[in-house]
Amino acid sequence: MTAEQTIPRPVPHHAAGAQQAADANLRERLSEFRALLVILLLMTESVSEDQILELAASSAPGLGSARIEGYGFSDGQWRAAGPAADGVSTSDIARQLTALGQGGGQVDLPGRRWVWAYPLCSGSGLIGHLVASSQLEPSAEQRFLIQVIAQQTGVAVSNARLHARERATAAELAATNAALAQTVTSLRRSMDIHDRLTQVAVSGEGQAGIAKALHELTGMPVAIEDRYGNLAAWAGPGRPDPYPKESFAKREHLLRRLMRARKPIQDGERLVLLASPRPELLGIVALIDPDRAADTADLVALEHGATVLSMELARLRGIADTELRLCRDLVHDLLSGTDDESALARAEALNYDLRRPHRVVVVEGKGRARAHDALLSAVRRALRTARQDGLCEIWSGHVAIVTAGQGNWEQLRRAMASDLGSQCRIGVGSLSARPSELPRSLREAGLALRLQKTLLPGSSACEYPKLGIFRMLASISDLTDVEAFVREWLGSLLDYDTRRKAELVHTLTQYLEHGGNYDATAAELSVHKSTLKYRLQRIRDLTGLELNDPDVHFNLQLATRAWGTLQALRDES
Amino acid sequence: MTGPVPSGIDEIGLQPGSHVCAFYRGDSDRDRLLAGYLGAGLTAGDKCICIVDSADAAERLGTLPGACGEPGPFGGQLDIHLPESTYLAGGEFTATDMLTFWTEAMVKAEIAGYSFCRLVGEMTWALRDAPGVEHLIGYESELNRVTASSPVVVLCLYDLDRFGGEVVVNVVKTHPQVLIQRILVENPYYIGPDEFLPSVPA
Repeated sequence: MTAEQTIPRPVPHHAAGAQQAADANLRERLSEFRALLVILLLMTESVSEDQILELAASSAPGLGSARIEGYGFSDGQWRAAGPAADGVSTSDIARQLTALGQGGGQVDLPGRRWVWAYPLCSGSGLIGHLVASSQLEPSAEQRFLIQVIAQQTGVAVSNARLHARERATAAELAATNAALAQTVTSLRRSMDIHDRLTQVAVSGEGQAGIAKALHELTGMPVAIEDRYGNLAAWAGPGRPDPYPKESFAKREHLLRRLMRARKPIQDGERLVLLASPRPELLGIVALIDPDRAADTADLVALEHGATVLSMELARLRGIADTELRLCRDLVHDLLSGTDDESALARAEALNYDLRRPHRVVVVEGKGRARAHDALLSAVRRALRTARQDGLCEIWSGHVAIVTAGQGNWEQLRRAMASDLGSQCRIGVGSLSARPSELPRSLREAGLALRLQKTLLPGSSACEYPKLGIFRMLASISDLTDVEAFVREWLGSLLDYDTRRKAELVHTLTQYLEHGGNYDATAAELSVHKSTLKYRLQRIRDLTGLELNDPDVHFNLQLATRAWGTLQALRDES
Repeated sequence: MTGPVPSGIDEIGLQPGSHVCAFYRGDSDRDRLLAGYLGAGLTAGDKCICIVDSADAAERLGTLPGACGEPGPFGGQLDIHLPESTYLAGGEFTATDMLTFWTEAMVKAEIAGYSFCRLVGEMTWALRDAPGVEHLIGYESELNRVTASSPVVVLCLYDLDRFGGEVVVNVVKTHPQVLIQRILVENPYYIGPDEFLPSVPA
């Protein structure tokens, strides 16, 4: 039997008797309960506090004569259910509701005959009041319906607030999780970048490896340049050929910008960063990014890449410095004298083949070229140009070259002079089969250089092996007879030069070396021809010798050459 | 047909002659109800007549599987109408005209060979400021009389986001069945047209 069958079907009200009217009234009440049930279902389902309050207020007129004026909450807030009635003070309502406490009760509102506050309760206690009004006092059934609405409104509002808090917490958690996930992603990417570039740093892949790793990490073409804009490494597509080079001024301007910024800067279509382990040591890493699409991770990769490049530049410079120092030490020891075994081992460490016969070449600069560093650089460049290997070092104010070369020494000298923009002289020693013999070659080179300065015309390269009589004289261990011979033929002139600070011996030497040619001798001595003739006459007067006599001529030339050799040997000692 | 027919909504069965008021929230919930309800009718071979309150909703219904023919009166198994040609035809709402519309629609469907009709109306049109809208609850009550003994089920759709509690209360009081939150709430005590109509303003 259904509920419908227990309730008589409606009888037209115009024909109702007392019993029928009572039945109809009962069915009306029961129907209202069904409607109330639906309202309560909707309230329970709703998660919006506003929606719940609006539903409660709007449903009241359908359930009787009462209307809901509004809701007063424990925090003092008043929410009107509709347009505020004239003369109603929300502060006055709040004060009355506070006085009521949890029980609810009558409230005074201007222009309302019946006003009642019903408590809005939740599991945790009172959250406020629902205030209902009517021009007529509602029946007990209607008051009951409003009370039920108030009670369920309280529960539903409480649930909605709880739900809102949970949603806020969930949203907060979701946001935190999202931020955390992003942080984890960023960290993972940073770790990948760090790992990849660290691998490049430790594996010695060099600048090409750094460029390749950066390209793989960013997806962009990567260029690494030296401080002058020369391409050191490229990775990725689109490598320009030939590689463009900026003007010096533009390059310097870019470097100054990078030094000031200390972070990546945009340079046309490139994102560039400076790698500078030391002020004088610079390199540039560039991401080719015409669309300016580089993100934070790309910048991190670029900065890591610049750091690794700095390490690489410092490493390369360190190697170069060490090699240079080792080279200097070796050259110094070779020239000073060292044992073969040690010299060969050290040369091998420098990747230099010292097992070939070597000789020493001494270079002396003039004027600006006396600056050792400039002279050393010019010597190195001349050797490179001549494709001649050798070890160079500053030695006693000159540059000494230890070389296996058999080259054209005069050509080498001219190349150095041209580079320096001033004259220079070179003396060449003979070949030494073993490193331990190189001090001898050095001595010969020095002697050749001094003889060239003292006796030989011009500045041309002077090779000891080609010095003929000079070489023979220099090789005599006991020079007593030589000195006596010089004294015999040039004694009066030497004494005169000493007394008068004159240069008669030097004048005679040049005259004889130039074959008696007045013009060439005067030019070599930088004096006028008449001055030369006067000096020669003095020589004739002092020595009583006839210079044109072949025997005299031979002995005088031998004596001047012996005198020059003795001078050179004395300078050496 | 005497047993319940599947409503197509949440496994709920409806007795022929049922006039069900369904509450929903928002367009997506409405479309879910319409798709289920009409989809079941199209599958069962019922004549389906639908009134929706927007051209967009009408267009979406036209894509239902089984909908055939052009939208419009008796163009196919599924007829889709807008309020302008039904509830508010002539610029105002009159319960009599609307009840006549449904009655004629059911007769024509029977002539066309359909043994069962499935009617549905989206009631948001009643929120417009149109003459005669105040007779809505009376119309709903009277519709019970038209459908009670016919091979038909009727679904009236109310958007809870737009209708207030008073409408809900009055609809529940005048409908024998209310579909809400996937629950079919029976109201054996509903106030029939004979009782309700004299109590509302004419």
